[in-house]
Amino acid sequence: MALLQNMIGIVEDNWLLLLVGQYPNGPLGGIAATMILSVLGIGLAFPLSVLMALARISPWAALRWPVTAIVYLVRGVPLLLIILWVYFLLPLLIGTNVPGFVTMVVTLVIYEGAFLSEVVRAGIKALPKGQMDAARALGHSHLGAMRYVILPQALFNMIPSIISQFVSTIKETTLGYIINVPELTFAAGQVNNRLLTKPFEVYFILAIAYFVVCWTLTSLANLLERRITARRARIADSGAEAGGVAAASAGVSRA
Amino acid sequence: MKGFDLMAILLSPEFSGMIAHGMEMTLIIFAGSWLLAMSLGITLLAIRMLPGRITDALVAAYVSYHRNVPTLVQLMLWYFGISSLLPDALQLWLADRNGEAAFAVIALGLCQAAYFSEDLRSGLRAVPKGQWEAARALGHSFTGAMSYILLPQAVRNAMPALVNHTVSLFKNSSLAMAIGVAELTHAVKEVESQSFRAFETYLIATILYLVCSLLLMWVGHHLERRSRMAGAL
Amino acid sequence: MTMLQQTSSRDDVSMIQFVGVNKSYGSFQALVDINAEVRKGEVVVVCGPSGSGKSTLIRTVNRLEEIQSGSLLFEGQDVHAKMGGSALNHLRSRIGFVFQSFNLFPHLSVLDNVILSPVKVNGVKRGEARDMALRLLDRVGLSNKAQDYPAQLSGGQQQRVAIARALAMKPPAMLFDEPTSALDPEMVGEVLSVMRSLASDGMTMMCVTHEMNFARDVADRVWFMDAGRVLETAAPDEFFRSPKHPRAQRFLSDLRAR
Repeated sequence: MALLQNMIGIVEDNWLLLLVGQYPNGPLGGIAATMILSVLGIGLAFPLSVLMALARISPWAALRWPVTAIVYLVRGVPLLLIILWVYFLLPLLIGTNVPGFVTMVVTLVIYEGAFLSEVVRAGIKALPKGQMDAARALGHSHLGAMRYVILPQALFNMIPSIISQFVSTIKETTLGYIINVPELTFAAGQVNNRLLTKPFEVYFILAIAYFVVCWTLTSLANLLERRITARRARIADSGAEAGGVAAASAGVSRA
Repeated sequence: MKGFDLMAILLSPEFSGMIAHGMEMTLIIFAGSWLLAMSLGITLLAIRMLPGRITDALVAAYVSYHRNVPTLVQLMLWYFGISSLLPDALQLWLADRNGEAAFAVIALGLCQAAYFSEDLRSGLRAVPKGQWEAARALGHSFTGAMSYILLPQAVRNAMPALVNHTVSLFKNSSLAMAIGVAELTHAVKEVESQSFRAFETYLIATILYLVCSLLLMWVGHHLERRSRMAGAL
Repeated sequence: MTMLQQTSSRDDVSMIQFVGVNKSYGSFQALVDINAEVRKGEVVVVCGPSGSGKSTLIRTVNRLEEIQSGSLLFEGQDVHAKMGGSALNHLRSRIGFVFQSFNLFPHLSVLDNVILSPVKVNGVKRGEARDMALRLLDRVGLSNKAQDYPAQLSGGQQQRVAIARALAMKPPAMLFDEPTSALDPEMVGEVLSVMRSLASDGMTMMCVTHEMNFARDVADRVWFMDAGRVLETAAPDEFFRSPKHPRAQRFLSDLRAR
């Protein structure tokens, strides 16, 4: 029908813009920018989140409280407001103008760092206590036990949750639109402003694009979760460890 | 740069008025979309329990769409896209009467309904099968078993997730700014651009959002603890 | 004082009747050509090795399990006939069922657990139901726990509440599916003693259990099952002294060897 034809037409005419923005005549945009933002965001947030998770379960209150406060702060405030904060503070702190892209990355790192730290914390907690006991009994220090015994297991179990968070990050990049970061949503806005007469088709294409990407990744995460749960169940049957299986890979979920 | 002066914002009737109105709009959008999301979420769960694979697949598709498409895009699709499909007269009528807020409530409510229905579904799945059998063995009908025995337990199981998603919904109200709704974040941006006091303005907004979020979380935990089946600690 | 309304006479009235009942799960036959009867006021104990189909058998009586052929009559009514939802609900409300895992409703207090179904299913007025519930809880020795929640009770206490909950519906017959198998040994006695007093009040009972002493003391008939068939039915004295079927003999000698 006409709708479908319109949509195909729009994609045919604008696919380059939607894919890479105005590159090479401008900054990289479109889907490419969205993916780069997401990968950078979660990639840099990950080590930060591990440190924050370790801080939150550490025995030292001086480390625990500030980090817990930061996590509650970031979780209690809309992402949009955090973007505004970073947009305002970052140039002041660094001294020069900061392109929107960098602002977005920094915001994502802070935001995802906090949320991911909750996932990591849950994953660590889901391991049987016996693992830490065994490690300490063998003479490892607290941090050593974490590094060689706890984290490797916890992080492996959390792979599905981390992929889930990656999907969330992709969805969060859309807020770059507000500060004119040329990612996919912004590119769609540009197409709409040019065409003016077919807003439904344009935004529906946008929705489908995100749906395809996110749904694929989510399905991958679900598949991995089933595999990991099955693997852990087999290990548990052989008596090497107990309980906490699905919990570790389920982690924390958030809209 | 001017020194830090919170009072310049708080005492100015114009600025504090804008912020107050923004807060009011945020709360209205939150309340409206929450009610829509909760009632629709329960309805979706009920539909899903009907026999037949088609209803299950339809609800699953609904949930999948709303969880995989970014909320901002959903908002834009409703406000820019679907509104353009409405008859012109209706569009004008809506534009006069704060139509943006209505679209925001609809978009956010429909989106969260997907999450709420999944939370309730997980909560229901966590109720042991023996409960269902005991209810039927005593002679309860399907509706009776659901109302008195299964759903009360499902909701209690789902509480943590429901509270989490409620807080998310509250924060998502800020997205309405992208379609021109004068909620808190929008108001804050306006005040900032007029007063040039970004730090103070953002701080006020941060405190307001934080207080509300923490309040919601606190109420949620309180409800959780009260409804938790005594002794099941 | 008896807690039951009907007189404790043993008639030749058939309460539960299995006629050529067969049940299978896919290709596995769980029940094979069951023909047996529980008369009014009788206490029947069903025993046998695990996997023999005892639980499946008792669960077909109130249609928690379906059957593929044959007929199952309760008070003369065909339990597995095609019937509307409310007819089946009504039928079930007349058959008391006690589960191995108690299945008390965790979100309701002990008292509410007992009151809920008479009020919502039988339409009993709340005040009346409350009085009856308190009497029943007293009879099973738990009136001081009325306001507690199931999670605060021991297994034996929970099972006794489950019995009171089933009795509150005033059923003419009670089914017990391994009521003490999930209990720690020291709590088995308290549940069995409630069941004993029920039996002596003339309740029609069908019990799947491993408690052979209970069977010997209380049962009117013992049904021995193996591999989905009822191989022998006899009075307890006869059954425990000289079982006829070779598999029953092996079952009892295995038990005694423990």
